[in-house]
Order: sequence, then structure tokens, then C-alpha cells
Amino acid sequence: MLAPVDLARLASLAVRARNIVEGALSGAHRNLHPGASLEFTEHKEYAPGDDIRRIDWKAVARTDRYTIKRFENETEMRALVVLDTSASMGYRRTSVSKLEYASYLGAALAYLVGQQRDAAGLLAFADDTRALLPPSTRPGQASELFSALEKLQPMGAANPSRAIDLVGEICDKRSLIFVFSDLLDCEDDPKASPAARGPLADRLRQLRARGHDVVLFHVLDPDEIELPFDDLIFFEGMEPGDQRTLLAEASDLVHAFREESERFRGRWRTTCLEARVEYRFARTDVPPAELLHAFLTERMGRR
Amino acid sequence: MHFLAPALLLGIFAAAAPYLIHRIGKRRALAVRFAAMQLLLRCERRVHARRRLREILLMLARTAVAASLPFIFARPFAEQATDLPVVTLDAQSAVIVLDDSASMQASTSTGTLFGRARARAQALARQFPSESELAFLVTSAGAPPKIGELEPDRARVVEAIEATRCSFRSADFTMAMRQASSILAASKRTHRRIYLFTDLQATGWEDGAGLPLVGPPEVVVDDVSGGTQLANRAIVEMRVEPSSEAGPTGIVVTAEIADYSNRATPALGVTLRLDGVSVAQGTVDLPAGGHARKRFLHSLPVEGSSSHDLTVEIDGDGFAVDDRRSVHVEMARTLRVLVVDGDPRTIRNEDEAFFFETALQSGVPGAQLTTKLPDDVAAEALSGYTVVALLNVGRPSTALASALERFVEAGGGLLLTVGDRIDAALWNERLAKLLPQPLGLVRTAAALPGQHGGETVDDRPAERLLPLDRRHPLLAAFPEQGDGLLSARFFKYMLVDPVRDTGVRNVILRYESGAPALIEREVGKGRVMLLTTTVDREWTDLPIRTGFLPLMREVARALVGASDEDDAATLLVGEPRLLSVAGDVQTLEITRPDGSVWIGKREQAGAGQSLAFLGTDQIGLYRVRAAGPDGTFVRQPTQDFAVNLDPRESNSTRLAAEKRPDRIAVSSAGAKPPKHRVELWHGLAAGLIILLLAESMLSLRWRRLAAVEDVPEIGPPSSP
Repeated sequence: MLAPVDLARLASLAVRARNIVEGALSGAHRNLHPGASLEFTEHKEYAPGDDIRRIDWKAVARTDRYTIKRFENETEMRALVVLDTSASMGYRRTSVSKLEYASYLGAALAYLVGQQRDAAGLLAFADDTRALLPPSTRPGQASELFSALEKLQPMGAANPSRAIDLVGEICDKRSLIFVFSDLLDCEDDPKASPAARGPLADRLRQLRARGHDVVLFHVLDPDEIELPFDDLIFFEGMEPGDQRTLLAEASDLVHAFREESERFRGRWRTTCLEARVEYRFARTDVPPAELLHAFLTERMGRR
Repeated sequence: MHFLAPALLLGIFAAAAPYLIHRIGKRRALAVRFAAMQLLLRCERRVHARRRLREILLMLARTAVAASLPFIFARPFAEQATDLPVVTLDAQSAVIVLDDSASMQASTSTGTLFGRARARAQALARQFPSESELAFLVTSAGAPPKIGELEPDRARVVEAIEATRCSFRSADFTMAMRQASSILAASKRTHRRIYLFTDLQATGWEDGAGLPLVGPPEVVVDDVSGGTQLANRAIVEMRVEPSSEAGPTGIVVTAEIADYSNRATPALGVTLRLDGVSVAQGTVDLPAGGHARKRFLHSLPVEGSSSHDLTVEIDGDGFAVDDRRSVHVEMARTLRVLVVDGDPRTIRNEDEAFFFETALQSGVPGAQLTTKLPDDVAAEALSGYTVVALLNVGRPSTALASALERFVEAGGGLLLTVGDRIDAALWNERLAKLLPQPLGLVRTAAALPGQHGGETVDDRPAERLLPLDRRHPLLAAFPEQGDGLLSARFFKYMLVDPVRDTGVRNVILRYESGAPALIEREVGKGRVMLLTTTVDREWTDLPIRTGFLPLMREVARALVGASDEDDAATLLVGEPRLLSVAGDVQTLEITRPDGSVWIGKREQAGAGQSLAFLGTDQIGLYRVRAAGPDGTFVRQPTQDFAVNLDPRESNSTRLAAEKRPDRIAVSSAGAKPPKHRVELWHGLAAGLIILLLAESMLSLRWRRLAAVEDVPEIGPPSSP
């Protein structure tokens, strides 16, 4: 499994996505979104990751091809990668930026979905929608999606609520929604609250209430977890209009910051648990394939 | 408060440096565009108060450090009034002279004089300006300089003063001041001073102040006695002499006690101790500033060891060191006399030996006499006697002469008397190594009309003895008029040839003509006495005079070494003790009064038979053991000895004002007291170190990089 910085050296996002998926799968896998309906709709050529129990052996005898049966829900499975591209997602120091890391993961998931002949789409947002590619199974969808991901630049302030509202409009059917964000400045004053409060938390609950399968990838740089500075630092906010500054000896804050960061992640984990949204914590110095492998393994285990 | 270098105080503006550095550092802080500002600000709010407090403390500490540096370099000091001698504000070359003589052991209500002097000397040494250079001497006789060169390191001088202990030696101020002057002569400084800490005892200044007549150095005397004379009583002398009054082993112990005060002491208690045990006590009335003598008559025990320690003590006073005095005595050997009768007669009172034997038997109780004719004397038998008396033996054989030589060399006593039978030439030939002086002609006294008429029945012309020189121990017991001796008449006597004076020969009695009557000579370890007349009535009527018996008794005791006190066994502090390593003695061990041990090897004696022990620095009794080739130590009580205080140290008479060596005005009552500089920068430097430690602790977790300009700003890349 390649480290994020090594992945960044690969030529294109498509290659990176394939590399991540190959590293993550490294063997048989199952469909990300298992069908629940018994109404047969079509045959589909077997692809790695498909449930072998669904191979239509009669069709195999007839056509000498491995074919699996597809049911109504499966054919209608749609996956949407929702990506936060605000300026804060551009932070990096030793590893790739959070935006790059999220792009790799999003591309890999889209690639995986595309491989299963399912529909994958993209919604990139900051203070406004930056890129929108509704889920589709049409040929070229994947390359368009990769191209859109590669063009994304971190800028603007995050407004995830508005993006999530847009998701509701795009996905009228039950969908698998991958949300990538650092969730910074997306919660109200916590004030001893065990869960994150705010519009984003509310939108996630709403998506789940509509039947969408939501996975929240909480992407953070190691610096935002450990604050590994040891000097007098003049900290400045990254997003436009952010006038917050702080002059401090970083070593004075390390201990308190780590506690604060831990609580921050804990609040979002609790929020997701309450909203039945799957929470995945993503450090940008962890190989994406490793994260994807853990995600897939855990998800298939639930089936 | 004053400053040595006040111009350096301008550096106080450096106190602003920490604040300026803080401001500059703030501007140069590493800028980081950070996404998680929300988290950062939340935790900052939590630690803000604590961090702010630490920042303020750190700033204060650094400002204090910056401000204190020029303050310290400006060398602040305070002037403080002190009772220490003279002004020391100026850098100077100084020699501290500390009186460590025995008299400084006198106690006062606040301790000993020496303790006070040492403390003041240390205080003075600490107060000299740091540019000063010091040397340190003590005044006890023979003591080497403690620090004999001017030394800039005051701490070393203070340590040397601290390490100094009071001695039992007498003072030699003259030498100490001479040394101090010599040390200061090498200095180029304007201020050259000698600081003398003493009790101002007159003893030790007899040879003058030891200073140049004019010019530097200045001398400052610190009188630690408080200007008053110590009221001291002391035993200044102790003698032990044989005394037949108390029997064969009788001794008389005489202690001379002196008072150095203006108050008489009636019934002062005096105690005599024999081998540590009190054997006699008495009192004496001691006049103010005078002397008194206490005499003890005692009989030494016959049984047991012949060596004894005698100590006399008086009731204690503030100076206890001289309240006791000790003597080591070796009991006289038993008097065994071989009388060689050279002119025997059948009529008893005409016999040559008759009066001599009678005198010894009566005068020396316990004396064992054996009388033989010259031909009957066996040469090898002489060792059984302590004294041999050769009475008018005309022609002693060669064998007898040789035997007598060996006998005397080994420590025996030999009395030679003459008479008509003497062959002077033969004596001079055979007894040449023993005779005090060669024999000459026989002189017959000339008659002087009416000179001695009517004194005796024998009216032959005669001479008498010259007045007695009672300084000789042998004659000390005789009355000044010499009763019984000066009345004796000498009709004939043998002249002796003159010889070169060698110091081992001594004429004890002389005739009126000036011719020697009784001569003594030391030969080897023994002694020879020659009486140039007879011991019967042929040439003199001395045998029938009352002085004959005591004279023969004293002669016999002198010959036997009967003096009970060995002068060499009683020393003053610092005097060397010669110890015999004769025989097969290889090692000597001396145990001092404080229990410390000195070991001497035979090799140290070279070709001689005695070792010099120089470590007589303590008063009391020194015990001697000897070891032969097998290394086994055996007590040698005969070599034990006592060391006493020099009686001069007991004399607490103060030095006369006109003889004081002061060469600088000493502060007097009512005058402005001298001031000393108390340097404050040491304390400030210590405070600075504490500040630096505090600053280090505070900034341990707050290390800053001042030069951060070259560090690139961290943040999101301008382009992916």
C-alpha cells in the first residue's frame, strides 16, 4: 500500500484510484451496496467484488461466461462523492493536503463503484458548488469524475449545509453518499456537548432519514491532531475572511490541543452514531488503501 | 551604598533588552496558516492565564538579569563600622601575624585568647579588598611561615588561619615581625601593613620589634586580651634531688611557683603525683607578683620499676597549661663499692680505707662495700660493682688498669686517691685514659707563722681549701661557709700537670695555692674523680672533719650516677630529645602525650648511637619503646622523658606601652570607628545565578528561535 506522498507521484488520479483499489481489495470483495429486492432485472458479467453466490450457473453453461443476476435495487445503486474543497482542506505540511487525500479516496471509491457497473457521481463544494457530476453509469463517467477531481483547488469557506441540501435534490433514490470534509468550523459552540451541533449534523440526519447510506470521512492532517510545533508561532486562519490569529509558543498548547482535537473527533463520532451515519476518521499520513481496505472489510462484514 | 565603577551603571539600560527582544521576536515569530484555528483558540483560552503569568514572570526575570549585570560590574559595596583593626578600604599588601604561643591558650569567658585572635584574623582577611595580597605568619618559636609569600587568594589565607592551632611553644615576635617585614619589602604597593593578633605578652619581644627603624611597613596590633593582664599562677620550675633524709630512695621535689598578678593567693593547693597517683598534698602562700617554693620529701618505691614520673600540680586558673609540671626520674642504682686498699694496716684506724669505709657506711644507707688488696682484684669481677675506689694504690697492674678503663667506659665510677705509695710516672702511663690530669710532684705545705695555730693537735704546716663553688651539684648540699670542709687542713698533696681544657674535666675543690684538690672527668659513660691527697690522716686531717662524710657520700653518689633526675629527661617544648639506640635496638617508638606515635629507625642515627627526636611540641610525658631485629617492641622506661612549658610563657606581664610595635593610630574610645568595606557584589552575583536558574526553568518549555527569518512560512501550497 502506497503512502499518500508516494501516490501523489503517480501520473494521474485514475492510476492512483486503481492503485488504491487494488491495494485495498487484494482479493475477493463484495458489492458496497447489497440489493434487497428479489425482482430480477438483468444479467451482469462477473466482476471482482461481486458475490459469487449470485453467479447464474445456467447462464454460465449457456454462454461460457461468468454472469451474475442483478436485482432491482442493485441496478439502481448510486454513489455520490461529496467533497469539501474549502481553503482549510488545502492545509498540508509533511503529507499531501487534505483535499488531495480526500480526492484519492473519492476517486478510488468512484473507481470501485464504476467497476461494479454502478453509478458514481461527484459533488464538490466550498461556500458554493464547485463541481457537480450526477451519478451515472454511462461510459466516460469515471474519467470525467477523475478529471473534475484533479481540477479542484482549495479555496473559499466551507458551507456543507448547502451542499448537503443539493445532495437531497440530486439523489431522489436511495444512494450511497461519501462525504469528505475536515469538519472544521462546521459545528456550533460545543459547550460540554458530547455531540457536534450545527447545520451539517442536522443535514446528515436528514439524509439518513431519507434512506441514504451516508459515510462521513473525517479528513485531518496529522498537525491538526498532534500540533507538532516547538517554536513561537504566529497562527493565522486559512479561509477567506478568517481574521483569527494567535501568537503562542506552540509547545505550551500541545497538550491542550491534543485533548481538544480528540474531543472534536469524539463529538463527530457521537453525532454520526446518533444519526446512524458511518464515521470514518482519515489521517492524511495513512495510506489511503489501508483506510479503504478497513472500510471495505468492515462494511462487508456487516452483510 | 557605593560603587567602585559607577560608570558601568549606565548599562542599567540593558534592562530594556528583554522587552525589545520580546517585541522583535514577536515580529519574527514563525507564521503558520493553520486550518484548525477553532481548536487552537479553544485550547488557548484554557491555558491563557497560566501562559500569561509565566510570560510576565519570565520577562521580569530576564529584565532583572539584564539590570543586575551592570549593577554587579559596578562593584557595589557598603561601608560598615567594625571593631577590627584599622581601615581596609584600600587595596594593600598585608601580613597577618597570629600569636600561637602557649600563652594564647589562656581562657576567658568567651573562650581562649587564641580562638578570639584566630576569629578576628579570619574576619580581617575576609574584609580586605579583593585586589589585596596577603601573607600569614605565626609567632611561635621555630614555626615556619604558614603562607610566606604575598597571596592574592584571600580564601587560601582564610583557610590557613582556620587550620592553625595554638602551640605550646614560646613566642618569638622579633623573628615573626622580621619575616613579615621581609615579605612586605618585596611589595611595590603604597599600603604595606602587618596585622598582629596577640595578647601583648612581654615575653618574646626581648630582641626588639624586628622592624626597620624607619619607613614601612605599618604595624597594627590587635590586643585580644582586652588590655588587661592575665592573673596567672604557674609552676615555673621543678627539681628532683636525692635526699637521704627519706631513706636510700629518698627524693626531695621542689616546685617553684610564681604569681603574675597583683593579688596574693593564700593556701594555694599543691599536689605531688607519682606515676599519676597523688602521693602528697600541701599548700603554699603565694604573694602577689612573687614566688613561693614548695618542697616535698618522698621515698620512691624500692620494688618494681626504677623509672618514675613525678608531677606537681597547683590549683587551676585561667591558664591551665602551666599549672602542672612533670619530671621523669630514674632511681639511683644500688651503691656497690669495691675498695682497693693500697696501704693496709693492722691497726684499723691507720688503715688507708678506714675513714672512707666508715664514711660510706654511715652516709649512704644500703651501700655495699667490699675491700680488697690490689693483687686480689680480679679484672672480670669489676662489673659487679658500681664504684671502684683505688686508695693509695702505688702500682696498679696493667690488667687492673685495663679492667678499670672498661669498667668506667661502661658507666662505672672510679675514685682515685693518692699517698706516699703512689708511683706518679707509672700512674700517668697506665691510667692515662682515666686520670683527670697527669700526676706531678708531691707538695708539702709551707708553714706560715701563726696561720693555723691551735686549731688541731697536729700543728704541721698546712693549706686549706678555697671557698666552695656551690654551683657544682656535688657541693650544693654544703652550707655556704663550707663548715667541715674549709676547716680541713692539708699538709701534703699531689700536684697535677696542666692539660688542655676539654670540657669533660672539672675541678671541684682547690687548695689555697690554687692547686686542684678534687677533679672529675667523664670517660665514656662513666666518671672518674681524683682526690689529690689521702683519705687517711697521713697528708690531711680531712677524714676527721665533719665535712668528710658528706663529701664522700656525694662523691660516691656522683660516681654512681646517683643523681635521681636525668636532666635530659626533662625538656622544654621544642627542645630535641636524644634517644639511645645502643645495642641491637633497630626501631624506637615514642608515644606522645596525645597518643600519637613517632617511629625512629636506627638508620636515621647514622654512625652514632642516638636518635634525635624533634617532635616535642606537646607538654606531658613521652613513652619510649624499642624493638630489636625481631621487631618486638619492649618498653624502655629509662628513656621516657617529660616535656614542660617554657616558664617564660607563664609570665603574663604585658608589653610596656613604649615598646609596642604599633606604627599606626589605633582607634580609641570616642574616636570615629574605622570602617570596612563590605562588598555586595557576591550576594548580587548569587542572586543573579538564582535568577538565571529561574529563567531557565521558566523557559524550559518556551524556547524561542530568534532567527526565524530564513524559515519558510508554512501553509497551503500556492498551487497543487
